[in-house]
Amino acid sequence: MRQSLAIRLLDNDWAGPGLISLMAIAVISILQPAFLSPFNILVLLSAIAVNMVVALGQLVIIGVGQMNLALGALGGLVAICFVGAIEVLGVPAPLAIVLGLLIGIVAGMANGVIIARTGISAFIITLASLQIFKGINLGITKAQPFYGVPDSVKQFGNTAVFGSIPWLILPAVLGAFCLWYLFRHLRIGRYILALGGNRQAAELSGIDTTGTVIWAHALSGLFAAAAGMMLVARLQIGQPTIGDDWLISSFAAPVIGGASLSGGHVSVAGTFFGVVIIAIITQALVLFSIDPFVVQIVLGGLILWAVGINRFREWRLSKLAIQGA
Amino acid sequence: MTTAASDSATTPEPGAAEVPRPSVTLQVLLSNEFGLAALIAVAVVIFATSLPGFTSPFSLFTLSRQIGIDTMIGLAMMAVIVTGGLDLSVGAIGACAAMFFGFGLEQLGLPLPVAIVFALLLGAGLGAINGITVVRSGVHSFIITLASMSIFFGVMIYLTQAKGFNGLPPGVAAFGRMKLVGPVSVLLVTTLAVCAGLLVLYRFTALGRQMLSAGANARAAELSGIEVGRTLIFCHALTGALAALAGLMLTARTGAAVPSMAGHLGQDWLLPAFLAPVLGGTLLTGGRVSVIGTLLGATFVTVITSGLLLMRVSEFWVQAFLGLMLLAAVLIDKARHTLLRRRGMI
Repeated sequence: MRQSLAIRLLDNDWAGPGLISLMAIAVISILQPAFLSPFNILVLLSAIAVNMVVALGQLVIIGVGQMNLALGALGGLVAICFVGAIEVLGVPAPLAIVLGLLIGIVAGMANGVIIARTGISAFIITLASLQIFKGINLGITKAQPFYGVPDSVKQFGNTAVFGSIPWLILPAVLGAFCLWYLFRHLRIGRYILALGGNRQAAELSGIDTTGTVIWAHALSGLFAAAAGMMLVARLQIGQPTIGDDWLISSFAAPVIGGASLSGGHVSVAGTFFGVVIIAIITQALVLFSIDPFVVQIVLGGLILWAVGINRFREWRLSKLAIQGA
Repeated sequence: MTTAASDSATTPEPGAAEVPRPSVTLQVLLSNEFGLAALIAVAVVIFATSLPGFTSPFSLFTLSRQIGIDTMIGLAMMAVIVTGGLDLSVGAIGACAAMFFGFGLEQLGLPLPVAIVFALLLGAGLGAINGITVVRSGVHSFIITLASMSIFFGVMIYLTQAKGFNGLPPGVAAFGRMKLVGPVSVLLVTTLAVCAGLLVLYRFTALGRQMLSAGANARAAELSGIEVGRTLIFCHALTGALAALAGLMLTARTGAAVPSMAGHLGQDWLLPAFLAPVLGGTLLTGGRVSVIGTLLGATFVTVITSGLLLMRVSEFWVQAFLGLMLLAAVLIDKARHTLLRRRGMI
């Protein structure tokens, strides 16, 4: 059983986006040497770290064949609760982080419980919870930011471990590894993908579908919370608007990374390169002083392009598989 | 309803055929529309007696104006929910059409009617682009319209450089202030006319029935000779046109075309767009619409919102409350369906 190189490359979710990332880095650094300056790399990696955690939060839900519109709203809510707890209640920072993560998990679980128990589409439930989280966020802050971010948190978001590697990479790598391990080696990960791939088959094979959906949403909430607090560290301020612009990019990165939106098929490595591509393009627009408004157009175009590529790959794979058989 | 619930407990999973069909009166009483109308009546009575400003002519005027706009946004989404799909880009399309309207009036010097027609055509065109992409690619409308909302809004904000059009002819703002029949805003009257048009479309025209059957069961519709792809594109184009109309109505209300009228990427329209049809009993899986239900849904939301605002509840908490309401609406609807199915009534 020798698989042809074509099949193996096509079968690899991250090969294409990885190649494009490398090419983009090469082209941009030739045109604009400042792109590879240590400071710029630090900025780029910080952005990639935060966006990676955001994308992982959506990736779990895409894996189970659903969508989470409330990801950004939850991230924003946790962000302001985190700073609010420190500033107003005087909670020490480590405890506030735990509190923030707990809020994320519980709120995510609430989404999951309602979706799994009622069978109502995740779209409409998370649209409602988006509004609820955002409303609570604005109700607490009255749309004004919290400024009382402790210095330790600020430093975490803006300094390097060594060279151009920011501390923010740490939670991103940890999160990515855990999710990869979960999908690859843990039962809950296999359940999530089985459920996303074929609900009926998953039910028939005795998988606890309710529990799986709840777990997936709890994980998504955890990632949203982590990303929200990472952004607080990076921005050095508890902005109520944190998370407002996560919707498009949280879907774009996994889709570029080859995730199937009908569920059951995700790639953590592919998502990473999806995040890298988005970050590079966004930065390149700034470096070449192109209108920042173009970012939106490019992001939308990237999603369509990735969806098209994924369809093409499915088609080629099925054709090659037939030929190979 | 309580007796119905206790009855159902004694009936072990009845076959639907054995249970006699409920009478027409009972069907009306159990309908979403009746429930909503009753809720609206209760809310209006409570607010009118407890809040002194609620029934002032000015309050009634702004209420009717808001109902008109929110219903139009809801109808826009309803027209595509028919297909079992959705359109995240309604807000972006509305903003695009409104900005194009402003550009046509201010920069091109188009006469008002021509500018309106062009703006509506632009909306329909953008909707059709969504529809064609969805049909051709076979990808779910969620991801296609997620991308197109970013593209439409991005192109619009790039072309306008995020600057609004403030020098519209006075006729536009005058239309937004105009009253017909007492304190009723002309915007609500416009919406009612569109509702009537949509009722005719879905009830009495071949195209409307094709939309419904394509949404209910695409394969069956295909087999019975309906061009499903073309019908779906029509649905998306109708959504675009209605979103454009909503954008124009909003422009008339503010008297200026501003890019942020529907929030970042037009996301602010998503909640009203889904709230009204879902409250009104439009099925998210497609195949069933309720134009009157959408009107009543938007009315209910607007009455509650303005009541809460008059009670000096902060608008931020009202926002959270609307989310809770959407949640409650779908949960109640689910419970109602389960109950009715158990009783063999649907």
